[in-house]
Amino acid sequence: MFRSFNAGGTAPARRSLWQVIVDDHGPGRIVLWIPLVFMVAFFLIPLALTLVWSVFERTMFWMEPGFTLAAYQDFFGSGRVDSFLNSVKSAAVTVAVAFILGFPIAVFVRRSVPAHAQHQAVLLFILPFMISEVIRLFALRPVLGRNGIVNDLLMSIGLVDEPISALLFTPTSVVIGEVLSFLPFMVFCGFLAMEAVPDYVFELCDDIGSGLVVTLRRVIIPLAAPGIFAAAIFIFVNSLGLFLVPDLLGGPGAANAGTLVVNAIAALDFPLAMAIAAIMVTMMVALLLIGHWLFDLTKLLEPFR
Amino acid sequence: MSHDYESRWVYRAKWTYLLSVVGVLMLPVLYTLWISFNANGFGAAEYDFTVFWYVELFKNAEIRTSLAWTVLIAAIVVAITVPMGVMAAKFYQRTRFKVPFVFLMLSPLFVPADVTAAALLVYFKNLNRLVEGLIGVELFDLSLWTAVAGQITWCLPYAFVVILVTMGRFRPEQTEAARTCGADAWQAFWQVEFPQIRPGVFSAGAFVTILSFNEYVRTNFLKGGFDTFPTYLVSYMLNTGMTPEVYAMAGLVSLVSMAAIGLVLVVALRRRIG
Repeated sequence: MFRSFNAGGTAPARRSLWQVIVDDHGPGRIVLWIPLVFMVAFFLIPLALTLVWSVFERTMFWMEPGFTLAAYQDFFGSGRVDSFLNSVKSAAVTVAVAFILGFPIAVFVRRSVPAHAQHQAVLLFILPFMISEVIRLFALRPVLGRNGIVNDLLMSIGLVDEPISALLFTPTSVVIGEVLSFLPFMVFCGFLAMEAVPDYVFELCDDIGSGLVVTLRRVIIPLAAPGIFAAAIFIFVNSLGLFLVPDLLGGPGAANAGTLVVNAIAALDFPLAMAIAAIMVTMMVALLLIGHWLFDLTKLLEPFR
Repeated sequence: MSHDYESRWVYRAKWTYLLSVVGVLMLPVLYTLWISFNANGFGAAEYDFTVFWYVELFKNAEIRTSLAWTVLIAAIVVAITVPMGVMAAKFYQRTRFKVPFVFLMLSPLFVPADVTAAALLVYFKNLNRLVEGLIGVELFDLSLWTAVAGQITWCLPYAFVVILVTMGRFRPEQTEAARTCGADAWQAFWQVEFPQIRPGVFSAGAFVTILSFNEYVRTNFLKGGFDTFPTYLVSYMLNTGMTPEVYAMAGLVSLVSMAAIGLVLVVALRRRIG
């Protein structure tokens, strides 16, 4: 538009190839589509196709097109479904613990920390997140072990007489590992949801003298619900899926859905791996849809509008 | 400044809680770092500071090779992901379908790494067979490039968000002014907008470097016949248990991440002062 204005009605000057490319209507616009195309090609399509691959016939080393529910029968008719349900339970515990430990931090930062420092305070929780997942989990071994730092501390202050061995290579250690891995997300999402709430809402609660419990239950939690729900889904699905946690911290036989996928691939049973992946993806989509229906998760995206 | 009806001590107690949670999250990492500098290893009664185990690491040719692969992959991933993050943020500003687009861009965060990685593995194997059948070239054989693609799906959401937030502070009137003065879209972006979003692009780059350097699950599934540092570390650890070398390797990874964070902070502080 501006270009034709600049040309001033005279014959258009010869333009270089570069100018043709970056023109408002030139081929340069296509460049902006690259990320979208990439994510569709290397994320959306592979995940959607897990549903298709899960009904393929298993061959010796690979799979071939067909329709069979053998993989699902294999999953639901074996001990795998028990491991899966166990990991659902421990993931639910993880979500609850992360909420109890993490959400008050989000409330505190939003309500009490000076406005200009709020983002910095939340960003503190990025620090541990920047250290490799593998390292953080692996590092819990010397911390939680029988002669680890936690047991040393408990013994030296005389709380226990002998080291607690239940802290490592047990279901408890898996929950501890998951909480420590995913806690920051409860802080981020809770804060993100509460950021949209104007200050006067909190001031009003103080002025009418509503107690902490009432304020939390009737004002803060309903307002932060989209954030809490998003964080809960995130933590739940990742606790269910991340095989590293039971692998590094769980005892013998510890497994979650991720372990089942990894083991199935190691056994070259690709349809089974894809079936479990498909179940997880379906579960996540269903949870997101329910959350969206209940709380309108797009509220979380308000800052990006 | 706490809010009106709160005592100073309650306010301080809350800060203490916040900082101690961060401390607890960091404690295991710092503890292993501390052990890694002990000549006697974990659980020893005496602590003798040494860098012996680190020197040992660099004598190991396999570790040097795996480090080289890690650096190479990180460089490629940063070089691709950061421009893509800028493009995605630009696309977001222009598209009418903002919510679906953001959902798509952020969804990799909500799918566990091993599910994405397994799906991508089977996808690449299928694509490889398909393409080989069509043109006879194993274009999608597991290699450096499949690992890079897997890592990009993981890093792009972060780069996108960081750059988008920085772009939000840029006033679009400046682009309009530049366009009115006769700049084309590229000049308006590169000479007017980009200098102002450069801090965001820089942090996105640092962010992606760290994420790529630390990535284990996807790389492990999608790499060709080589080891990156994290995959080498995990297989070494699972084979030999918790030896001093493992602590040193873990320490090295943590130190690299901390150095990158430190660099970002120093640059940010210098900009604020300058």
